[in-house]
Amino acid sequence: MRQIKASLFLIVLARAALAGDRPATAQEVIAAAEQEGKLVIYSTTDTIFVGPLLKDFNSLYPKISVQYDDLNSTELYNRVIAEVAAGNGSGDLLWSSAMDLQLKLANDAYAQAYLSPEATHLPSWASWRNEVYATTYEPIVFVYNKRLLKAEDVPHSHACLAKSLSADPAKWRGKVASYDPERSGIGFLLITQDSRLDPDFAATARAYGAAGVKLYTSIGAMLERIQSGEHLLGFNIFASYATARQWKDPSIGIVYPKDYSLVMSRIALIPRAAKHPNAAKAFLDYLLSRRGQELLARSALFSLHDEVEGEMTASALMKKRGGNFKPLPVGPSLLVYLDQAKRLDFLRRWQRALGTK
Amino acid sequence: MQERPSWGRVAAVLATATAILPPLAIIVYQSVLDGPFFQPSAKLSLSAFRFVMADADFHRALGSTLLVATGMTAVAVPLGALLAFLFVRTDLPGRRLLEPLLLIPIFLSPVVIAFGYVVAVGPVGFVTLLFRETFGTAPWNLYTIASVTLIAGLTHIPHVYLYTASTLRAMNVDLEEAASVAGASTARIALTVSIPMVRPALLYSGVLVFFLGFELFGLPLILGDPEGLLVLSTYLFKLTNRLGVPSYQLMAVVAVVIMAFAFPLVWVQRRLMGGAGRFVSIRGKGVSHAPLRLGRWRWVALALVLGWLGATVVIPLAGVFLRAFVTNWGEGVRLSEVLTVGHFTELLDYPNLIRGVVNTLLIGVVGGALAVACYAGIALAAHRWQSRWAKVLDYLVMVPRGMPGLVAGLAFFWVFLFIKPIAPLRATPLSLWIAYSVVWLAYGMRLISSALLQVGPELEEAALTVGASRGRITRDVTVPLIRFGLLGSWLLVFLIFVREYSTGVYLLGPGTEVIGSLIVSLWATGAMDTISALSVINVVLVGLGLLVALQLGVRVNE
Repeated sequence: MRQIKASLFLIVLARAALAGDRPATAQEVIAAAEQEGKLVIYSTTDTIFVGPLLKDFNSLYPKISVQYDDLNSTELYNRVIAEVAAGNGSGDLLWSSAMDLQLKLANDAYAQAYLSPEATHLPSWASWRNEVYATTYEPIVFVYNKRLLKAEDVPHSHACLAKSLSADPAKWRGKVASYDPERSGIGFLLITQDSRLDPDFAATARAYGAAGVKLYTSIGAMLERIQSGEHLLGFNIFASYATARQWKDPSIGIVYPKDYSLVMSRIALIPRAAKHPNAAKAFLDYLLSRRGQELLARSALFSLHDEVEGEMTASALMKKRGGNFKPLPVGPSLLVYLDQAKRLDFLRRWQRALGTK
Repeated sequence: MQERPSWGRVAAVLATATAILPPLAIIVYQSVLDGPFFQPSAKLSLSAFRFVMADADFHRALGSTLLVATGMTAVAVPLGALLAFLFVRTDLPGRRLLEPLLLIPIFLSPVVIAFGYVVAVGPVGFVTLLFRETFGTAPWNLYTIASVTLIAGLTHIPHVYLYTASTLRAMNVDLEEAASVAGASTARIALTVSIPMVRPALLYSGVLVFFLGFELFGLPLILGDPEGLLVLSTYLFKLTNRLGVPSYQLMAVVAVVIMAFAFPLVWVQRRLMGGAGRFVSIRGKGVSHAPLRLGRWRWVALALVLGWLGATVVIPLAGVFLRAFVTNWGEGVRLSEVLTVGHFTELLDYPNLIRGVVNTLLIGVVGGALAVACYAGIALAAHRWQSRWAKVLDYLVMVPRGMPGLVAGLAFFWVFLFIKPIAPLRATPLSLWIAYSVVWLAYGMRLISSALLQVGPELEEAALTVGASRGRITRDVTVPLIRFGLLGSWLLVFLIFVREYSTGVYLLGPGTEVIGSLIVSLWATGAMDTISALSVINVVLVGLGLLVALQLGVRVNE
């Protein structure tokens, strides 16, 4: 009898958990979405990372068939503004790590407002005008080669990195990698944030220059060459990609800088030109829901949902590493450097500090 | 041979113009605006030109592009001509076995080749590490402009080879035999008889390689990335981010600059060619062929060929294959501990990657054949046509060659987006096929015209004299005479389409995935495991395709 009671209890619990795991999307939105039957996502996230997520969404809403376009961030922006100008519809949901370009789309009135019922689980900085939503919490870290860099030589803050670079430039010469802010939009966004948060940014940049930092456009190429030992260390690298790589290759080491760790996020928005807006709403809710966020965390894309537990979550990060995480607020402040003159001026100063021009 | 102007021919010119001019017009128009052409706020302005011309990076990029293009032409043309002579005219040992291998560098996407070189001879590549262990030091640096030039030169040898060899094959050996009978050495025959006779093919391929130098993207992107080595195409790429938002007007200006270099080259090329009659060598009589003897130089020649194959094919491919079967590599890694086949099994989970493989094959085999049919149609329309239209056509087909694939792809994306009647084609491989066919128009057509140039007018005149119509002459005389040229073109176009990577980048979407563009798209976020597995699949598929072609009788060593 007790056994039966116990198993009944378990069943009830499981059903409750399952029901609780459904996104809180309104019934009429779901009905309309199933009516639409289709969803086109433009995304910068590799299919490799989101395979399980898409499968699960499909099992929740089998009547909505999902088309997932994997694009790079400038392409995504290009495609949307061109398609809107052609007046023939565009993607239904745009999901991109180029936070500034996503904000620019919203600011230029390409986005439609939707108050997601799941937004209550988000931190306050993570949405803007009910049009743009942050969906992940991805710290920006140092990555190093464990085989070749001794534990005592690993720097644990930006200041410490700058210090060891200046102390022994010969050892580090050509051995440090990062994004090229001139050629990579993300790299630009990150280094401008560094200039804001690092009180000694000019000195840090000079140290990078003295070590002959190698500047890349591709995070993949950077990680590959750190793994192989061509470089010893890289800075301004997404913890998500580094962690995914670390799961496959334990020789990758990750440092969450102690002075501050920037936090980037993949931004989702629904364009006005969406042909299947309700399906997009259902997906956005799903992406922000506990169920979607758990799957994101399992793919090394850190969750920012307040109830999701596990290592790859905002709360676990803060508990384990202290409070020095600096998420980029989702809002118009991201647009500052899309101003041409400011952008070119920053690049000139950066190059001068680096000593390349 | 005087005849009435034919409407069929004029129609061919107009059809070609319809395919080529819209994307070109968009680019030129975009270059004189101050914003994207489709935004109402865009105004006519020369500000984009002013910005680019005042940019120090542009001048640096232009300088290194000229250097690389010149250098690679200087490497590729003499070596390509030498290889063609060795394989077609001499008793080089093992030439039948080796010839299909010569073409491998054009099967490979430059992104793949560059990636392979990094794994093999980069600062911690396995060849470098081995060399350093043995000799104490490895005296090369892969990431320099000299390395990029050398690799580009070596990998473009097959382009010169194909043009030159197909011309040499079509050429009568009488003159060479006469020289041989008169006691000339093989080297002397090569330098004073054979090579001068294939001058049109050498000039065409030289100009072509120079153009390709302007378009180099994959090699400088990967080998020049961290060193900041800029050429025009990577500068163009850099412009996408310079201002934060895509600056189409700046990209268009660079494209216009590249085309401004292309047009005078076409003109020079035509001038150099002079009267085509001087090079006619298929006359109305039989051809017999006995290979010239190399004597003791045979083994030196063989060593040269094998050395080139080793440097251009074996080393980078070894790098790519190695990378595809390990989880990591480099200094301090024992490769035996990191072996895996996981990268391949993971591909099966992603339908878009599988579609990419299928589409690539489809566009190579079927699309390649269709493209050659179109090219041959255009070339035949212009054949023996003394008219201003023919000259227009000649310049017209060179136009797309001057457009970097990346820009042409973007222009076609706009064409398919804004011209409503063809909009439904955008998400089908047909859009890719049209873009590819236009981008590679000059390339495929030159092979066909090179072959046509070798056909003496007397055979066609004989047919005309006995009362054959123009169509009948084309069908029964001209086409059979150039059939090897056509088969060669199909093979070449197949290889080029399978390898193409930049044109498809902007058209990439569900339905239009191809391996090359998928690799570029995956490159940025760093799915290196997937990239290496896709590269290996690409190489294997093309290898299989080549084997099938050989079995079907498309003999490259005919």
